[in-house]
Amino acid sequence: MSTQAVVSAVKESVETASPLRIEARATWLDAGRPVRAHKTLSLRDDSGVVGYVPGDLTLTVRAGTPLSEIEQVTREHDQWLPLDPYGTSDGTIGATLATASAGPLSASFGLPRDLLLGLEFVNGRGEVVRGGGKVVKNVAGFDLSRLLTGSWGTLGVITEVTLRLYALPKVDRTFAIALKGSEQETGRVIHVITESALSPYALQYFSRPAVRALELGEHPVCLIRFGGNDAVVRAQVNALSQIAKPEETESEIWTRVRQLDGSAHTVVRISSLPVQFRAASARILGDDVGGIYVSIDPRRGVLRIVVGGEDANGDSGTAAIGSSVDFHESQGVIFEKLPPDIWSAVSPSVVSDPLSQGIKRAYDPRNILNPGILGDLM
Amino acid sequence: MTPPQASPAQTPSSTVSTQSAVAERLAEIVGERHVLSRQSELLVYNSDGLPGYRRQPKLAVFPGSGEEAVAVVRFLAKQGLPFVPRGAGTGLSGGALADDIVVIGLHRLKKIISLDVENRRATVEPGVVNLRLNKHVAPHGLLYAPDPSSEAACTIGGNVAENAGGPHCLKYGVTLNHVLAMTVILPSGEIVELGSKVGERDGYDLRGAFIGSEGCFGLALEITVKLTPKPQTVRTLLADFMSVDAAAHVTSAIIASGIVPAALEFMDGPTIRVVEDSIYAAGYPRDAEAILLIELDGLEAGVAADLETVRRVCLDGAARNVKVARDEAERMKLWQGRKKAFGAMGRLAPHLIVQDAVIPRTKLPEVLATIHAISEKYGVVVCNVFHAGDGNLHPNIAYSADDPAESERVHKAMIEIMRACIDAGGSITGEHGVGLDKMGYMEAIFSETSLNAMCELRSVFDPERRSNPGKVVPVHACKEWRAVSGGRLRIAEPPAEVHEPRPLEAEPARPSAR
Ligand SMILES: Cc1cc2nc3c(=O)[nH]c(=O)nc-3n(C[C@H](O)[C@H](O)[C@H](O)COP(=O)(O)OP(=O)(O)OC[C@H]3O[C@@H](n4cnc5c(N)ncnc54)[C@H](O)[C@@H]3O)c2cc1C
Repeated sequence: MSTQAVVSAVKESVETASPLRIEARATWLDAGRPVRAHKTLSLRDDSGVVGYVPGDLTLTVRAGTPLSEIEQVTREHDQWLPLDPYGTSDGTIGATLATASAGPLSASFGLPRDLLLGLEFVNGRGEVVRGGGKVVKNVAGFDLSRLLTGSWGTLGVITEVTLRLYALPKVDRTFAIALKGSEQETGRVIHVITESALSPYALQYFSRPAVRALELGEHPVCLIRFGGNDAVVRAQVNALSQIAKPEETESEIWTRVRQLDGSAHTVVRISSLPVQFRAASARILGDDVGGIYVSIDPRRGVLRIVVGGEDANGDSGTAAIGSSVDFHESQGVIFEKLPPDIWSAVSPSVVSDPLSQGIKRAYDPRNILNPGILGDLM
Repeated sequence: MTPPQASPAQTPSSTVSTQSAVAERLAEIVGERHVLSRQSELLVYNSDGLPGYRRQPKLAVFPGSGEEAVAVVRFLAKQGLPFVPRGAGTGLSGGALADDIVVIGLHRLKKIISLDVENRRATVEPGVVNLRLNKHVAPHGLLYAPDPSSEAACTIGGNVAENAGGPHCLKYGVTLNHVLAMTVILPSGEIVELGSKVGERDGYDLRGAFIGSEGCFGLALEITVKLTPKPQTVRTLLADFMSVDAAAHVTSAIIASGIVPAALEFMDGPTIRVVEDSIYAAGYPRDAEAILLIELDGLEAGVAADLETVRRVCLDGAARNVKVARDEAERMKLWQGRKKAFGAMGRLAPHLIVQDAVIPRTKLPEVLATIHAISEKYGVVVCNVFHAGDGNLHPNIAYSADDPAESERVHKAMIEIMRACIDAGGSITGEHGVGLDKMGYMEAIFSETSLNAMCELRSVFDPERRSNPGKVVPVHACKEWRAVSGGRLRIAEPPAEVHEPRPLEAEPARPSAR
C-alpha cells in the first residue's frame, strides 16, 4: 500500500460510483458506526516510519502504523508520543487522528490535534494533499491538519502524519487513592486535589463497578500519575500524602483503564465545564450499577460512561445513564460507540451546519469516503 | 473600491455607487467620527508592522460594538464590497493591508466579556490587547499563555488570525492550543459559533480551521480562551558563548536532555550589541557572539533540578558564563532586551526586513552557518534573534532602501536565506503568517493540489473572496478562481517579491516580560 495505491482506489471508486469504507486495523475505532459502502479500503499494510530524527522530537509515519510500533521505536530513544486513546495500542495512528481519540494523558499533553504537525491525505477526487509540515511550529497556509483531525475519514484518507514527540520522563509513577468516606468526604478530597498545585500527567476518578473491573478494590478510586525528574515527582507524592492516602500501583494499570471498553456495546462521553464535574463527581462515583463503568477526568472536563461491561446484568444500560447524569449545562454528549442499530436514531448528522457540509462537498464531492459514518452529510 | 453594479432604485437597502455614499452609510452605523475616508487620515493604515509594503485603503470603519461590526459586514456583503479586518496592525507579513478597499478596524471592540476563574477561561472581544488580558487575569493567579513579543500592542483577534506564538509557546503551545471557541461573522454576514465554550464537540474542527486563517475566513467577534495557572516558580538563565555554533549546539542539547524549558531564546552578537547600545540595554555581555535566554518554570523542586541540568549542559557546551536572574527585577531586565530587540534594530539603519522561517532544531548549527555565509557573500549584516527552542528563526537585516544597490543585495540575501531554510526541511513561517510577504514562497512548499485544497476551504467560508482578498494563497494557484478572474471584484494580486521599503516607524509595541 502506498499513497499512489490509495489514489488509484479512490479514483476507481469515483468512476464506478462505489463508496469506500476506510479501515485500518479495525480494532476499536470503527465503533459500530454505519457506513454505506460495499468496498473496503484498508490501510493496514501501509505502515512504518518514514522519518525520525530524535534530536528534533518529531516523527513521520505512514497512517497504518500501529501505536505499539510508535511506542517501540520512540522508546529506544527515551521518547514517546503521549497519546493513549481508549482501546489497545494495536490501533493505528491514522485512525486515532481521524477519530480524534484521546485518553487520560490528554489533559496534560493535549488532544490528538495538538500533537499533529502535518499530514498527507487523499481527498475524494483522488488528489494528494499536504497540510502543515514537519517542524514543530508552522503557520504557512490554512490549517488542513486540524480540519482532517476528527473528520472520521469523510474528507480524505490520511496516508502519512508528522507528530510531536516528548522525552520520556525520568520517573513515572502512578498512585491510587481509595475514596472510602461519605459522599461529602469524597467531594472534599476531589476539591482539594483539584485546587492543589499538583500537576499530574493523568488524573481520573472511577466508579465502583469500574474499580472492580480494574481489580482495585471495592470503593471509588482516584488514579493519579506523576512524571518528570525525580525531585518533582517526589515533591508531588509528598504533597499528595498530606491530602489523602495514596497507594502506589503499577503503571500497567493505565493499559487496563484504556481497555475498560472491552466488550462494551455503548460508550458515551459527556463534556462540560470542569467545575460542574467537580460538583457532581462524588455522587456519580457512588453509583453502583453492574456493567456500567463511569470515569471522570475533571481537568479535561469529561465524563465517560461505558455500558455493557463483562459484569452487565440485563439491559440496564440506557436507563442507568439517564439516572446518573444530569448536567444541565453540559453541551457535548458524544457517542463514541453504540449498538449498530441505534446509531441512526441518535445522531442524524454531527456535521449538519452549512460550513461543514460545504467542506464535505468540496473535498469529497461524490460522497465516496465513509458515507454515513457521521450521519447523512449530503 | 469596485464600483458596484448599477442599481436603478436607490432604496436604503440597495447598492450605493460612490465612495462617499458608502462612507455615509457606514457612518450611519458607527457614527461619523468612526469612518475615515480622507487620504491623509488613512495614511496611518497603509502599512502594518512590516516595513516594506504600503497599500492605501479606500475607507476605514471602526465599529464600537459587536452589533455595529455585524451591521458593517452585512452592509458590505449587500454591496458586494471586499474588506480587510485589522487589529492593532502589528502584523509582520502585510496581512492587514487593504489595497484600495475598506478596512474594518477592530480596536474599539475591547471588552473582556467574561472571566470564569474556576473553569479557567475568558471570553473577550477581538480588540482586547494581549497584555491587557494578562493583566486582567493575573490577580487570580492565571495567565493567557501565548505571549508574542508585541503583546503590549497586538490584539487577541489578530493573534487568532495569525495563530500567534511567542517565547513561552515552546512549553505552552501557540494560540491554536489556547482558543476554545469563537463567534465569527462570515463575510456573508452570517454569524456562526466555532468550537465550544463549555465542552468538547464532535464534527469537523472548524475552530482549528479558522485559527491562522489570516482574516480570509471572516471576522472573529468573540473569542473564548483557556487560561493557565501561573507556575509556582520561574527561573531565568542567561548563558553566553564565544561562538554562534556553540550556542546552537547547546540549544539542541537542552532539547535532547528531555527538559522542556518555558522559553529558550537566542540572540547573536550583532543583536546583542544593538540592544546594548539602545535604551533597552539589558546587561548582556557585549563581547559575546551569542547568548541564550532560558526560562524554566513549574513546581519548585522540579525547576531546581532542571536548572542544574541546564547549567551543566551550557557549561559542557562551552558557555563562558551562566548567570541566573536573582530577582524579578533582574529577570524583567533580561527579558526586556529580548522583547525590544526589534525596536532596537530600528537604530541600525532606516529600514528592516524580518523573516520567520522554522527549521528542524537539529539543523540550527548548519543553517546558522549558512546564513552567516550568505551575509558575507552579499556584504550585509544579519541580526539573529529568535525562538531557538522551536527552531523558529528571525533573521533580520537593517539597511537603507535609499541605496538601490544595497537594497538589491539585501533582498537577494533574504531570498537565499529562505531557500536554505526550505531546503533544510523547514517552513516559511512559524508565527507571522503568509500575508502578502510570503505568498511568493507558498508554491515552494505546497503542491498545486494542496494549495487548491486551501482555496476550496477558503471558498466555503468566503465564497466571494471578499474578506482580505489577495492574501495567503496566490490567486493563480486556485483552480476555480482562475476561471473567474476578471470578475467584478477587485482582487489585488501582489507580485511575488515586492519590497517597497520604508523607515521603521515608532515601535508599535511596548512589550515587557511576563
Ligand atoms: C515588535 C514586534 C514583535 C512581534 N513578535 C511576535 C511574536 O513573538 N510572535 C508572533 O506570533 N508575532 C509577533 N509579531 C507579529 C504580530 O504582533 C502578530 O502577528 C499579532 O498577532 C498581530 O496582531 P494585530 O492585532 O496587530 O493584528 P493585525 O496586524 O492588525 O492583523 C493581522 C492579521 O489578522 C487579521 N485580523 C485582525 N483581527 C482580526 C479579527 N478579529 N478577525 C479576523 N481577522 C483579523 C488581519 O486581517 C490581518 O490579516 C510581532 C510584531 C512586532 C511589531
